[in-house]
Amino acid sequence: MTANAEELDLKDRLSLIETMIAEGRRTTENYGWTFVLWGLAYCVAIFLDNVLHFQLAWQVTMTIAALLTAIPFWGKKCSHPPTTTARALGALWFGVGISMFIVLFSLGYSGRMSLHIFVAVICGMLGAVNASSSIILKWKLQFACALVWWATTIYACFGSGHYLMLVFAAATFLCQIVFGVYLMIREARARRQGANHA
Amino acid sequence: MPELPELNPVIHGKLRLALLSLLSGIEEAEFTWLRSKTGSTDGNLGAQLAKLEEAGYVTVEKKFVQRKPQTLYRMTEAGRTAFIEYVQALKQLLGEAIGD
Repeated sequence: MTANAEELDLKDRLSLIETMIAEGRRTTENYGWTFVLWGLAYCVAIFLDNVLHFQLAWQVTMTIAALLTAIPFWGKKCSHPPTTTARALGALWFGVGISMFIVLFSLGYSGRMSLHIFVAVICGMLGAVNASSSIILKWKLQFACALVWWATTIYACFGSGHYLMLVFAAATFLCQIVFGVYLMIREARARRQGANHA
Repeated sequence: MPELPELNPVIHGKLRLALLSLLSGIEEAEFTWLRSKTGSTDGNLGAQLAKLEEAGYVTVEKKFVQRKPQTLYRMTEAGRTAFIEYVQALKQLLGEAIGD
């Protein structure tokens, strides 16, 4: 083999390594819809609680949202092998989700819940999970969402109760619905590119 | 002149290299998934995976999921180390070739 052909062969192998590593890491799962679903669930709960004064607004909407999130994954065989990053992110969201349920349901049923505590807890935990996820994924946009959640937490602790639900609804709209829709668009684009490459 | 590194012959085969590259980014993979990603035949894929297993670079786990057999492959620490060394040697050789 000539030196030039040998060099081409080595470059070919390096390119094969890069392609296969990228192929292994390419995810086919879609999570954008879960952000939108939970964003809508928060908005529905805010509406039921503040406008219709439905006592169990949060308990009912959160339970329905949790079921709607779980059903598509239930018993579904994942077509893609797990990556360490995907497992880390799944564990993070699962842990925070369960923590939120335990804290909020316990506070609600013990009668020690107040609007300020409620928003501070939700936004603080969402800030934590979004910040951790953004650091794992090296994604500045998600870190911006974490900053919005943290700012809402600070407002919930120090600000007036008058506008608290409005501020919470605005944060939900930005960080759940707008961010979720953007994520869905990105995922759809990635799917199209994947189909073109296949 | 610095001595040029030798490429590990177990990893150097194209299909084995593709398999280790795929396994390096994930925790474990099914035989069928590896087959679809590499586009190889069952016989060839099985033979190459057996060579990697023999070298201690991958481990195999056979189990039944909902009564269907499933064969899972994982990269071992030895496999990861050998793969990293291979990539470093490859880059060094390419550096030498470009420098010539």
